[in-house]
Parts: sequence; C-alpha cells; structure tokens
Amino acid sequence: MRTNHISTALGCLMLCAIPTQAVEYAHQEYFEHYEGTKTCLECHEEEAKTFFHSQHYQWRGESPSIVNADGKKLGKMNTINDFCTSPRANWIGVSTSPSGKVLSEGCSKCHAGFGLLPEETMTDEQLENIDCLICHASGYRRSLFEDENGQLARKPILWKNQEGLDSVAKRISLPKNAMCLRCHSASGGGPNWKRGDIEYVLSECDRDHDVHMAADGAGMQCVDCHAGEDHRVRGRGVDLAANDMPGVHLSCATADCHGPNPHGEPILNSHAKKVDCTVCHVPRFAKVDPTDMFRDWSKPHYSDELEKYEATIVLASNQVPTYAWFNGITRAQLPGSPAQRNQDGQVEMMVPLGNRLDPASKIHAFKVHRGRLPVLAEKDWIIPIVVEEFFADGDIDKAVRNAAKEMYQVSDPKYVWNDTIRYMGIFHGVEPAANALDCLECHGVAGRMPWKGLGYDEDPLAALLKRK
Amino acid sequence: MGTKELSLACAVGALVSVMALDAMAAKKAKIDGKEMFKANCKICHDKGSASGEYTPMTLISDQWERFFDKKYLKAHEGLKMPAGSESEGQGVTEAITPEILQAIKDFAIKHAADSEHPMTCG
Ligand code: HEC
Ligand code: HEC
Ligand code: HEC
Ligand code: HEC
Ligand code: HEC
Ligand code: HEC
Ligand code: HEC
Repeated sequence: MRTNHISTALGCLMLCAIPTQAVEYAHQEYFEHYEGTKTCLECHEEEAKTFFHSQHYQWRGESPSIVNADGKKLGKMNTINDFCTSPRANWIGVSTSPSGKVLSEGCSKCHAGFGLLPEETMTDEQLENIDCLICHASGYRRSLFEDENGQLARKPILWKNQEGLDSVAKRISLPKNAMCLRCHSASGGGPNWKRGDIEYVLSECDRDHDVHMAADGAGMQCVDCHAGEDHRVRGRGVDLAANDMPGVHLSCATADCHGPNPHGEPILNSHAKKVDCTVCHVPRFAKVDPTDMFRDWSKPHYSDELEKYEATIVLASNQVPTYAWFNGITRAQLPGSPAQRNQDGQVEMMVPLGNRLDPASKIHAFKVHRGRLPVLAEKDWIIPIVVEEFFADGDIDKAVRNAAKEMYQVSDPKYVWNDTIRYMGIFHGVEPAANALDCLECHGVAGRMPWKGLGYDEDPLAALLKRK
Repeated sequence: MGTKELSLACAVGALVSVMALDAMAAKKAKIDGKEMFKANCKICHDKGSASGEYTPMTLISDQWERFFDKKYLKAHEGLKMPAGSESEGQGVTEAITPEILQAIKDFAIKHAADSEHPMTCG
C-alpha cells in the first residue's frame, strides 16, 4: 500500500515536470496522412457501418420507452425541445454579430458528422460524413467552414496544417470523458445549461464531485457505464426519446455494479426498493456551473456580453432535485399532436410515468426545466423556433413564423405562448457515502420529500410512529 | 525511519517545492499573454496579413514549442515593429522582452489547436 502511494507521488512528480508527450499511440504506425474519414474506413468500414445505424448518427431510433410513440422512430431529429427547440429548423448555418463574432453554427455542431443530414440509406458519402475523431482523438477540435461553392461543412480546425492534423488524428483511443463531454457538457447553449449533472469538470473532478469519474475515486470513463455494442450506447435517462439499445437497462443496482442490496444497514436496502439510488447519493446538481432552469422564448433580450439576442434564461447553481415516481416510461409532447397540459396549464414536454402503487416505479431525482414556447392556435401544436437569425436580429415573431412554415408548412400562423415543463433525470455527480441523505433530510419537518404529491397521506415514518 | 518513509518524504518535499515554484512563477508573471499576443503578434499576423495569419489555434502545442525554441528568433530577426504598435520602429526581438515572450508562449500553448474544449451550441 505504502509503496503504491510513493509511486503515485513520484508518478505525479514526473507528470508535473514533463507535461505533454510520452503517450504512444498505436495509430502512429497505421497511416501516414489523415485525409478525412476515408482514412479510417480503409481498416474500419465495419465500425463505420455500425455507427451509421446508431442514435448518435441517426438522431432517431426505436422508442419503446415513450408511451405515445406509436411505433415511430423518434429522436432529436423529429422532436421539439424547450432549449434550442429543433435541429430541423436549425441544422447548419452561421450567424454573426455586426462585429463578426460567430453567434451559432447550427445544431449539427453536436452531431457526430461533418454537416450532412443523416439519411436512412447508407452510402459512401454518408459513411464519410461520420466524424470518428470527435469521439476517438485526444485534442481534436472542429469548426464550420465555407468551401468554394459556398457550401458549409465542418472540418478539423487544423485542416490547413497537415502536420498538426496528422498528429491529432493519430491520437486514437476509446473515448475518454473529455471527448464525450465535448458535446454533452455544453448542450443547450452554455456550460451545463442543459443537463445540470453533466458538467465539463467531470473530465477532471475530485471525489467530492463524483466518486465514479474522479481520478482520486474510481477513475471511471463515461464508456465504462455507457458503452454497449456495435456503437450503441446504454442508458437514455428520462427525457431522451429513443433507446439506443432497446431492452438494455443501465442501472446502479445490476450485479456487475452494486447489486440491489449494497448496504450493511437493512433499512437502507429496503428503501432502495422504492427510492432510486441517485435520490440519496446525488443530493444536488449544478455543483460547478449553473444550469438553465427556465427559458422564456417569448421574452427576447440582448446580451452585450455575448453580442446576441437570447431567450430570457434563468440560471441557477446548487439545486436540490425535484422528486417524483418513474417506472422507466415517459410521455412526450410530440410535434403535430395536440398539446397535453398539466393542471397548471403547462405543456408537458417530457414527463415520467409511475406512481406509488405501481410496483415498477421508484422515486427518482429530477431537474425540472420550465419554458415558454409558441403553440399554433388552431391546431394546438407546439412550434419550434428558427434560432439562427433570431440570435442576430432578435425578431422572435419572424423566428416563430419561419419555424411554423418549416415544421408544419403553415405560412401565416396564429400562435400563443404557453408555459412548458420537462423532467430530466439526475444520474451523475454521485458524492461520497458520507454525503448521502440522512434520515431526517427526508423524514424531518423540513424534509425534501413532497409526501402528499408522492401519494402518501403523510410522512410514512411519522405514520408508523403514530401507529406504534 | 525506513527507506520507504524517506523516499516518501523526499517525494512530498519535491512535490511541495514544485508547487511553490509554480506559485512563484504565477505571482511574477502577471503579464496578460492574450493582450500581449494581440499587441505584439497579431499586429503582423492578422487575417489577410502578408506575413500569414497566426492565432493560437493555428498550431498544436508541440508546434508552438518548436516555434518558440527553434524558429522564432530566426524568423523575426531584423524585423521592425510596424506602425500602430506601441514600440513602433523597434526591432521585434528587442521590443518583445523575454518575459513578454514567455507569457505569449504560455497563452499560445494553453489555447493551441489541440487543447480540449467543449462545444457550446447557440
Ligand atoms: C491501417 C489500418 C488502420 C487504420 C487506417 C486505422 N485504424 Fe484504427 N485500428 C486498427 C487496428 C489494427 C486496431 C486494433 C489494434 C489497436 O488498438 O491498435 C485499431 C483500433 C482502433 C480503435 C480502438 C482503440 C482501442 O484503444 O481499443 C479505434 C477507436 C480506432 N482504431 C479508430 C480509428 C480511426 C478513427 C481511424 C482514422 C483516423 C483509424 N482507426 C484508422 C487499424 C487501423
Ligand atoms: C458529437 C456530439 C456527441 C458526442 C461526441 C457524444 N454524444 Fe452522446 N449524444 C449526443 C446527442 C446529440 C444525443 C441525443 C440524440 C437523440 O436524442 O436523438 C446523444 C445521446 C446520448 C445518450 C442517450 C442515448 C439514448 O439511448 O437515447 C447517451 C447515453 C450518450 N449520448 C452518451 C455518450 C457518450 C458515453 C459519449 C462518449 C463516448 C458521447 N455520448 C459522445 C451527442 C454526442
Ligand atoms: C459518438 C461517439 C463515437 C463516434 C463518433 C465514433 N465512435 Fe467508435 N466507439 C465509440 C464507443 C463508445 C466505443 C466503445 C464501445 C463500442 O464498441 O460500441 C467505440 C469503439 C470503437 C472501436 C473499437 C471496437 C471494438 O470492438 O473494440 C473502433 C475500431 C471504433 N470505435 C472506430 C470508429 C470509427 C472508424 C468511427 C468513425 C467512422 C467511430 N468509431 C466513430 C464511440 C464513437
Ligand atoms: C457510474 C456510471 C455512469 C458514468 C460514469 C456516466 N454515466 Fe451517464 N448515466 C448513468 C446512468 C445510470 C444514467 C441513467 C440511465 C437510464 O436510466 O436510462 C445515465 C444517463 C446518461 C445520459 C442520458 C440523459 C440523462 O442525463 O438522463 C447521458 C447523455 C449520459 N448519461 C452521458 C454521460 C457522459 C457524457 C458521461 C461521462 C462524462 C457519463 N454519462 C458517465 C450512469 C453513468
Ligand atoms: C434512503 C437513502 C439511500 C438509498 C435509496 C440508497 N443509499 Fe446507498 N447509502 C446511503 C447512506 C446513508 C449511506 C452511508 C451509510 C454508512 O455510512 O454506513 C450509503 C452508502 C452506500 C455505499 C457505500 C457503502 C459502504 O460500505 O461504504 C454504496 C456503494 C451505496 N450506498 C450504493 C447504493 C446503491 C447502489 C443504491 C441503490 C441500489 C443505494 N445506495 C441506495 C443511503 C442510501
Ligand atoms: C430519500 C429520502 C429518504 C431517506 C433519506 C430516508 N427515507 Fe425512510 N422513507 C422514504 C420513503 C419514500 C419511504 C416510503 C417507502 C414506501 O413507500 O415503501 C420511507 C419509509 C420509511 C419507513 C417505513 C415506514 C413504514 O410504513 O413501513 C421507515 C421506518 C423509514 N423510512 C425510516 C428511515 C430511516 C431510519 C432513515 C435513515 C436511515 C430513512 N428512512 C431515510 C424516504 C426516505
Ligand atoms: C513585424 C511584424 C511581425 C511581428 C511583430 C511578429 N511577426 Fe511573426 N513573422 C513575421 C514575418 C515577416 C514572418 C516570416 C513570414 C515568412 O517567412 O513567410 C513571421 C513568421 C512567423 C511564424 C512562422 C515561422 C515559421 O518559420 O514557420 C510564426 C509562427 C510567427 N511569425 C509567429 C509570431 C508570433 C507568435 C509573434 C509574437 C510573439 C510574431 N510572430 C510577431 C512578422 C512578424
């Protein structure tokens, strides 16, 4: 044990003293120049084909966990959310501020391709559109460029520096946290804005932030939990539409991780039958970067700092999750179907199903995102927003009209603004056991559990004590 | 004290002194590398400049290392700071002091084309 510590200390010393270099990559021998994905296809056509069919490429897929999917293949491509709304209306494009600052490049910025829309039929062009390096190369970055024909495409930022590009393109490994976080940590418009529990700091955090991914914790990578087979990933959470691996469930309680009874205390194990592990073990989210809790598209305002128009966004840090039942099935507000509203009149964008009496349900932890979106008056359909031009000119009415045209082919839409609500699961940022919720944080007078809302007459512990 | 404890103590000692050095360097170098890059490099290497466009993102960190160690002097010897610069007319390699150059180097490497960054949408 002690020698271990010594070598760790020495190892760190050496790392501190000699920064970069040292790492040897097998791919340094495999090819001379990187000339786009076709370089990889020479040896990895099979992997490219599997990737082509994945949710990460298609942005639509089997959706058995969406109760109203009706057998349709859903995903980012054909749904609307309450953040940047819809990639359909905003696939690729550049909008710039008067001073030349790039305001946005389109939603395909977070698609693992170079800019073409994914198609259902596999062609060489589609396979070459896959950007392998975004998940497999350390230090890789890309940007949007216009070619001679005025066509926009993503390219490595090093495209004019072949020596630099070759160096980066040979740093091939299975995906590291930083690579997954290139897309997953800044979605929704800013650091941690969208998910709340997938922060960029996970690429190098300490145990207090996340016991699994911390270098001084288990040192795990995203793929240690999420990798499936054939480029499919496990785990869709609550508010994503498709299951990349239908039928495969990612859970802390499986035998190869913790099992259903991880505690020495029977009372904790019996709780785990009704309370999801993350409820006690992820006591808060947005621990480093604040997250978007409310986005009102009806109130545009100009940000001097960003030099662009934005929706009115409320950011918040250190949030206590909201607690509700979830049985693995979600109801989605789909485009082209009448809005479903809760008692408060909010359109339910994504809501977990489940209740106290349903044996498949457990209480889960959620970030509840509220928003305000346009709804097509005569049909009661939600409308996305063409954000690209809006960022530059702030004309929200035009942005809604253009979107209605794009999405529903309606050219003179009458629309109203409606509040929205989305439940997003909180699964990351598991803290050390000492920080797990204690009895009184739930059962105390000012406890976290909304007992009535969860279907209990009162705190079940208080009820038990009364009965005794 | 056994040899193991001894080497542990050494390691910790060395670690502490490395950290102290780092802290000292940070204290001394209050020069803003980004501003210095703008004032001393971008002035000749902006978009469309005859001497080529260079931003930190033009090169990977290894290439920046190599440039500062091996090429910088040779490429800039005899050149004069252009009009519009604070040190107009002075020789480039004299006007840019070693301290300023170090700050520029640190900035360029920190933001090199192969530094990791998350992608923000919209
Ligand atoms: C000349 C053939 C060849 C080319 C070209 C090639 N690879 Fe590989 N690749 C291999 C072989 C062989 C392996 C398995 C052995 C290994 O990991 O080195 C491999 C393994 C991999 C792995 C798994 C690495 C791991 O650590 O398990 C990834 C990811 C990968 N390649 C991606 C790429 C990408 C992306 C490109 C294009 C930039 C590429 N390869 C180009 C031959 C090639
Ligand atoms: C190029 C950007 C990008 C990168 C890189 C990326 N993702 Fe994703 N990921 C997405 C997008 C966008 C979605 C949502 C797709 C949809 O809902 O249609 C997604 C969805 C997912 C899902 C949910 C899948 C489901 O069944 O709904 C998981 C899990 C996931 N990603 C994990 C990862 C992991 C792990 C990595 C690193 C190996 C990674 N992602 C890298 C963009 C990315
Ligand atoms: C969205 C992220 C992502 C992209 C983009 C991506 N991969 Fe992968 N790749 C993964 C993950 C995650 C794994 C590990 C799990 C698996 O095999 O599904 C993997 C595994 C691999 C492996 C190792 C397979 C094995 O069986 O060990 C190879 C080779 C590979 N990828 C090549 C490629 C090539 C070539 C491309 C581009 C055509 C590509 N990948 C694009 C995420 C990605
Ligand atoms: C210790 C295991 C573990 C690690 C490590 C992990 N995740 Fe997850 N992740 C989960 C679980 C559990 C879920 C919920 C799965 C479910 O219920 O379908 C999840 C859900 C997700 C989802 C679905 C959307 C959501 O948030 O609900 C995405 C995307 C995701 N993870 C990305 C990542 C990325 C990126 C990393 C690395 C930075 C990562 N995960 C690391 C366990 C993990
Ligand atoms: C009702 C709250 C609660 C739930 C639900 C819960 N835990 Fe715990 N867990 C705790 C507390 C409190 C501790 C600290 C116990 C202690 O210090 O003895 C703990 C400790 C742990 C530990 C550390 C054990 C050790 O011996 O150090 C692990 C691992 C763990 N829990 C995993 C899980 C998993 C996996 C689940 C879901 C199957 C889960 N927990 C559900 C409250 C909970
Ligand atoms: C995350 C919130 C949470 C924490 C922390 C928690 N509980 Fe509970 N507790 C619940 C919920 C929810 C139920 C109801 C479960 C059910 O419906 O079966 C419950 C039920 C109980 C019951 C059963 C009452 C009955 O009718 O059988 C007892 C006893 C109890 N808790 C004691 C404890 C003790 C002791 C601790 C600390 C070790 C604790 N709880 C920690 C949420 C919590
Ligand atoms: C007076 C104008 C001027 C200034 C100030 C200047 N440069 Fe240069 N730089 C040049 C010229 C001229 C060349 C040579 C171009 C050629 O030979 O094609 C050059 C060459 C370069 C090269 C290419 C070297 C090679 O051989 O590959 C780099 C990189 C560079 N400069 C970076 C910098 C940096 C960093 C700074 C600030 C510390 C800087 N320059 C300041 C004019 C300038």
